[in-house]
Amino acid sequence: MAANFQLAQSNMKNKGNANDLFILQIKTKSDKLINYFLGAYFLIGLLLAGFYDTWLVAIGIGSLSLLAYYSTKVLFPKSNAYQYMLSVVIGIFMAQFIYQMHGLFEMHFFAFIGSAVLITYQKWKLQIPLLLIVLVHHAAFGYSQFIGIDSVYFTQLDYMDLGTFIMHTILAGIIFFICGLWAYHFKKYSDILLKTNSELDKFVYSVSHDLRAPLASINGVIELAESDTSDPVLQERFALMKGSIHKLDSFIKDILDYSRNARVAVNNEQINFQEMLTEITGNLKYMEHHQRMVDIKINVMNELEFRSDRSRLNIVLNNLISNAIRYQDPNAENPYVDIRVDTSDTETSIVIKDNGIGIQKENQEKIFDMFYRVSNKTAGSGLGLYIVKEAVDTLNGRIEVESEPGKGTSFNIRIPNN
Amino acid sequence: MNSQYKRVMVIDDTHVDRYIAQQNIRKCEFADEVILMESAGEAIAYLNSLTEKNDEIPQMIFLDICMPEKSGFDFLDEYDQLPESVKRHSIIIMLSTSLNADDHERAKNNKYVMKFMNKPLNTDKLKDLLDQIDPKNKAA
Repeated sequence: MAANFQLAQSNMKNKGNANDLFILQIKTKSDKLINYFLGAYFLIGLLLAGFYDTWLVAIGIGSLSLLAYYSTKVLFPKSNAYQYMLSVVIGIFMAQFIYQMHGLFEMHFFAFIGSAVLITYQKWKLQIPLLLIVLVHHAAFGYSQFIGIDSVYFTQLDYMDLGTFIMHTILAGIIFFICGLWAYHFKKYSDILLKTNSELDKFVYSVSHDLRAPLASINGVIELAESDTSDPVLQERFALMKGSIHKLDSFIKDILDYSRNARVAVNNEQINFQEMLTEITGNLKYMEHHQRMVDIKINVMNELEFRSDRSRLNIVLNNLISNAIRYQDPNAENPYVDIRVDTSDTETSIVIKDNGIGIQKENQEKIFDMFYRVSNKTAGSGLGLYIVKEAVDTLNGRIEVESEPGKGTSFNIRIPNN
Repeated sequence: MNSQYKRVMVIDDTHVDRYIAQQNIRKCEFADEVILMESAGEAIAYLNSLTEKNDEIPQMIFLDICMPEKSGFDFLDEYDQLPESVKRHSIIIMLSTSLNADDHERAKNNKYVMKFMNKPLNTDKLKDLLDQIDPKNKAA
């Protein structure tokens, strides 16, 4: 156990680092969101321009802000500088809107909206540039209007008296503080979640290995004993033992797959279907030794690059192909599984079609349920197709089944190309 | 003797797995002699002692991944340090019950590992192995 745990840990270090992946996902998601927000900010500027004819400000300052944000992002793609630039830009938009509406008090709310938007990056420090801009802007414009400089708009009142100004600033400060606090807390929870997940993953990995290793040994010894005898009674008993071992082993594998699908971050790597399918079908040859082999036809069309999560795709294909072998029709003369993969720029379509026993119409919608088994005679844990569905969902894909009892089953899967 | 290989090595910390490997190798006349090693450290020490006796170097090494102290991957790191004269004579087959795709990937990417196989070893797998490698080409 200790050895496995060490090994599992070295594996964690070795893999593309799940933690970094998770943090990258938060960033990517937030960046996408920000694109919409900034677009909306620019449009709001245009919308407000009609009131006091501030087109020049709306288009000029608005575009400069967008330019500042996106050029920082492009020029320093590896650094987080663009996030701080975002905080600045959000502050400038607030100032722009206040000016455009000639100090309409409600425009001050944009400082709060911006502050809330920034929480998404889970970094309290991002509040600072916004806070500074708001302070400088309020002080400068508030004072300018107070001393009576023309065409400076801060409030629609004649001026904001000092008491109100202080109150205003304190309240704004409190909001920035709270948003920063939430960002800090989210970050903390994310870290705890990551740590728990990675520990649990190591644990499940070690436990499943420690359960499977002795099973493989038992299986090996039974195979040796089996080959030493021609007594049909003994042969039958050995076959029964091996059947039970196989069942237990598949169950452990299913639990591992389920647990990993639920918790491990989604990877984005190049997929070689031909290689993957050859490996899967090669391994199945040994797994399903108690049954006759079916003819596996692999047809990978369109050699376009496809990117997705390898281990989840592996789970999906492995389960569906081994099901096709397990539920072959004993009366069929040439049992087969026909696997077709067709990749386009946007998605890949996988069809796994067999001439097995098929699934009754009324059972077809239940097959993806957890622990659902069509009959007691079947060897499965009732987890296989449930895990397939979960994994396909995690990859933002779809899976459909078409089946006719006595004719065969076809699973159609579509998975987006990342 | 007419086995395919003269000498192979099995590195596994589990007694029963060494037994299974040994019995199967004998059963299908895979090798004349099976050297059993209980740990990666022991195996490295043994291989190190053969620098002057090249004809005693095992032609094939069956290597378990999960072992206490030094794992199969630790073995590969140390194997890398062995003199060329020793390494030239062997090919390595990794054996494991591991379901971790990273293990498979890591084994596949190691230049000394020819194949990754799931446990338990049996005569079918050994025969498949023979089909894939012609020992006469490798024996040189």
